[in-house]
Amino acid sequence: MTIAQSLGLNILQLVFVVLLAPVFSGIVARWRENVQFKRGPSIWQPYRDLRKLLSKEDRYSESATWVARFAPYAVCLSPMLVTLLIPVLTSFPLFGAFAGDMLAAGFILAIGSFFLTVAAVDTGIPYGAMGASRTRMVGFLAEPVLIVILFAVSFVANSTIPYIVQQQWVQPPAHFFSPAHVLVLVAFLMLIIAETGRLPVDNPSGHFELAMVDESKVLDFSGPSYALVKWGSSMKSVVLYVIFVNVLLAPWGLAGTPNALALGEAIAVVFVKILVLLALLIAVEASLAKLRLFRIAEYLGAAFVVAVTAMIAAVLAP
Amino acid sequence: MSNYHAFEPEINALICGFFVLSAFGMVVIRQIGACLTVFIVQSLLLAASAFVLGAEPLSWHLIAVGCVTLLSKPILIPYVLRRLVPREIYTVREISQALDVPTSLLVALGLALIGFALGTRLVGAAPLLAKQNVIVGFASLLIGALVLAVRREAVPQMLGILAMENAAFLAGIAIAPDFPLIAELAIAFDVPLLAFIVSILTRAVYRRVGSTAVGELAALREHPQ
Amino acid sequence: MILFVAVLLPVIGAAWCALPRSHAAAPYVNAAAVSTSFLLTLWIAAHTAATGHVVAIAGWVSVDAFAAILMLGIAAVACSASIYSIGYIGHLHAPPRRVRAYYANLALFIVSMLAISVCVEPGLVWIAVELTTLLSVLLVSFVDTREALEAAWKYMVITLLGATVAVLGVLVLFWSQHVAGGTSFTYAGLAADAHRMNPILVAAAFALLLIGFGAKIGLFPMHTWLPDAHSQAPAPVCAMLSGVETSAILYVLLRLMPLFRAIPSVHASTWFAIFGTASLVAAALLIVQTHDLKRLFAFSTVEHMGVIVLGASIGTLSGNLAVVWQILVHGLTKSLCFYAAGAVALVAGTTEFAKVRGLQRHAPLVGTILLVGSLAIAGAPPFAVFLSELAIALAAISVGQVWLAAVLLAFVGIAFAGTIAKVAGMMLGRENEGLHVHPAPGVVRGVLVACAIPVLILGLWIPAGLGNLFTQAAAQVTLP
Repeated sequence: MTIAQSLGLNILQLVFVVLLAPVFSGIVARWRENVQFKRGPSIWQPYRDLRKLLSKEDRYSESATWVARFAPYAVCLSPMLVTLLIPVLTSFPLFGAFAGDMLAAGFILAIGSFFLTVAAVDTGIPYGAMGASRTRMVGFLAEPVLIVILFAVSFVANSTIPYIVQQQWVQPPAHFFSPAHVLVLVAFLMLIIAETGRLPVDNPSGHFELAMVDESKVLDFSGPSYALVKWGSSMKSVVLYVIFVNVLLAPWGLAGTPNALALGEAIAVVFVKILVLLALLIAVEASLAKLRLFRIAEYLGAAFVVAVTAMIAAVLAP
Repeated sequence: MSNYHAFEPEINALICGFFVLSAFGMVVIRQIGACLTVFIVQSLLLAASAFVLGAEPLSWHLIAVGCVTLLSKPILIPYVLRRLVPREIYTVREISQALDVPTSLLVALGLALIGFALGTRLVGAAPLLAKQNVIVGFASLLIGALVLAVRREAVPQMLGILAMENAAFLAGIAIAPDFPLIAELAIAFDVPLLAFIVSILTRAVYRRVGSTAVGELAALREHPQ
Repeated sequence: MILFVAVLLPVIGAAWCALPRSHAAAPYVNAAAVSTSFLLTLWIAAHTAATGHVVAIAGWVSVDAFAAILMLGIAAVACSASIYSIGYIGHLHAPPRRVRAYYANLALFIVSMLAISVCVEPGLVWIAVELTTLLSVLLVSFVDTREALEAAWKYMVITLLGATVAVLGVLVLFWSQHVAGGTSFTYAGLAADAHRMNPILVAAAFALLLIGFGAKIGLFPMHTWLPDAHSQAPAPVCAMLSGVETSAILYVLLRLMPLFRAIPSVHASTWFAIFGTASLVAAALLIVQTHDLKRLFAFSTVEHMGVIVLGASIGTLSGNLAVVWQILVHGLTKSLCFYAAGAVALVAGTTEFAKVRGLQRHAPLVGTILLVGSLAIAGAPPFAVFLSELAIALAAISVGQVWLAAVLLAFVGIAFAGTIAKVAGMMLGRENEGLHVHPAPGVVRGVLVACAIPVLILGLWIPAGLGNLFTQAAAQVTLP
């Protein structure tokens, strides 16, 4: 495989994530209504929103500085960078595979959230600052969970490069059932729920500003910058989904050779894998009520314990 | 089923992993009803481990332990508890705890690490096929003791004792698979009796005191106020 | 066969209570069954003294000298407690349903206690130990007050926690013998395989068993439940719990001592000395502060368990002889003390030192027996406890552990002073204004006198057969 091929495939992955991210958001929005026996918006609605927002004028509050203007780009760019590091469609390493490991992926995603948080304070509306402090609380508690998950992963795989990690869980096939693997999955799923602002941590469809965690940060964005923030957050979600289904769950269905047929098949399979994950998340959401704000610490504490147990299990592997 | 033997240790390890998670669950879960559910799950895991260990090499003894566990712990005990303990206490959501949940989780983690260390030393002294059982058993035993310490309600305290018993037997089925008679007898006889006695006592406390927060009973001491 | 009959005979009492309208006769049926069981135990003890053992199922259920002594103590206290209950429980005017439940429970509790002494397989023993807890919890909460329920709950939780730790200890013990290739999982079989076993596993089993059973024995710092439970229960139950239940569990540990002591890296003697001394010191200091007669006797139980454990740490034949001796006489003496305390409760309505004064004048018999019992349990000559405590101190000196003997004598002295000072205040002094005195029931007075006799005699004279049993028993728990 030539460098050009490798680079090309990497860009194909990027395109996959960038273009399909809004449709996953649309599917989630529609399914969430469907489980309540409502029809819900079209799954293409996010694209229409983006088109409308991009054609509008950018407005910023008078107190805003360059941070608020730069934040949407950071939010949008950080998941795109991470996409280069992780196996979205192929099971063999691509151009950017060794540029950074999973820890780097976590930190790059954190840069995006950091700018969004600072920008929320920067705009000067009180809800923004409130949302910022709440997301930081969740973030502070989620960080150790991620770190411990990575410890567990590295104990198993002796590496944190996603392309190497994904092979460990299925060689030999019995490893799929190892406690380290299953517990890492559980912990990461809990982390995804917290990071993407879903029930029981946050209610993404709530309209009550005082109860918001994630959404209240973006209340003061408008026009193209709001479009970028929305697009960026849906890309971030997709990146987390991809890490879950491809790196942590199993590399099943990924293209083993760089030919068009295999790639087409991989696109379809990955799409379906993410859909299954979304169905699971919706099911979780539909069955839980939102936690009180200070109970979130307990929720993430539980995730932390699961992750530590996974790590211990990895050390004690039979 | 040629791969069966390769899967067996992994499945047992997975059961042990969920077992220790369920032990943590008993520390953090607030509602009494949910605690009971976690206990049922834990007992099912114990039975599953007995079946997996008893399947290869075939040990009727362990399979009998699994069957008796299956009958007594997930079925009989919840029945006795639901039947004899006043229904009101299952609806209480915010039950009284001696430590708040995150702190007790951290303590539980510390205890689990101590348990893992102890178990690992023992397993190192005498090599064993199912070493996870011993290690997880020790850790869960200590976590169960923590449940007793941090819970003030009668039913969760008692579930803590039963969880410790589960942990001891999880280790037991690995280290003493042909232990004569004791495991079956104890599980079949002692444990339901325990649930029965505790339920009667809980009922008496509820009738006399008006709640089942046994941890807040503190009239007996050397210098009465 | 006779072992099974002796152990299971009290079940008749429990079965009788299952019949409708049985509460009137239940006390007598129970007392008759337990007394018969006691007579059979006497025969078993005599037979054991002559032939060395009585075997029902080899490797599972059998009685040797030490077991016979324990069984004798349990049966004797169970017998007196059953008879005493006739007067005591009858006096409480409990509803018939509760009376029936009490006697059924008491009978089963006695069975589980006797089972500890006849089983030689540690797994079975563990089941019996667990049953003693479960079957005595509802006896502790019998009076159904807030305090009694609190005491019963603490008792149950701490001792069951101990039992759960102990079951893991038993399992590890089995494992260590199994790995070493041993097959006979009994007290004797374990001791025989000791040299082959892995020291780490045996040390783990020792730690688990010491903590697990220690909680039930009431060793410091797991003693917190003991004064509560042993003071809130009805007097006959207190006598059983304090007099024989604690020492029956301690017996199990003592039977395993030859195994533990055979492996030096376990440091069993050192740990026994530490726990024994700690319990003795803590109990002696608590006795001085206590405000209630029954709590005082409960702390005295902690003290005596400390003394026995400390004595067992010495390990010589003379030390073990004193230990075995003290197990029996402590049971007899402590039950007498609780019967007297129960009589005080019946006579004066309370057992608090501040409220009861001048007992000697109003209830001379109860007062006298209380004084005798207190002197005996505190270790005054010429009573039996004095002999064993002195013998333990001498045994400690004979192996060069002078400091151990010094601590023993000093704190036994403190406990003695505390006990006598408090009881003397209750006996003498001027009576309180509001104290209404009722006469004690005749059965209670009879049991008091009958139980005082062996306490007096055993300090002065030991029957030959009994002496023979004691020498055999001491040899059984001593390393050759």
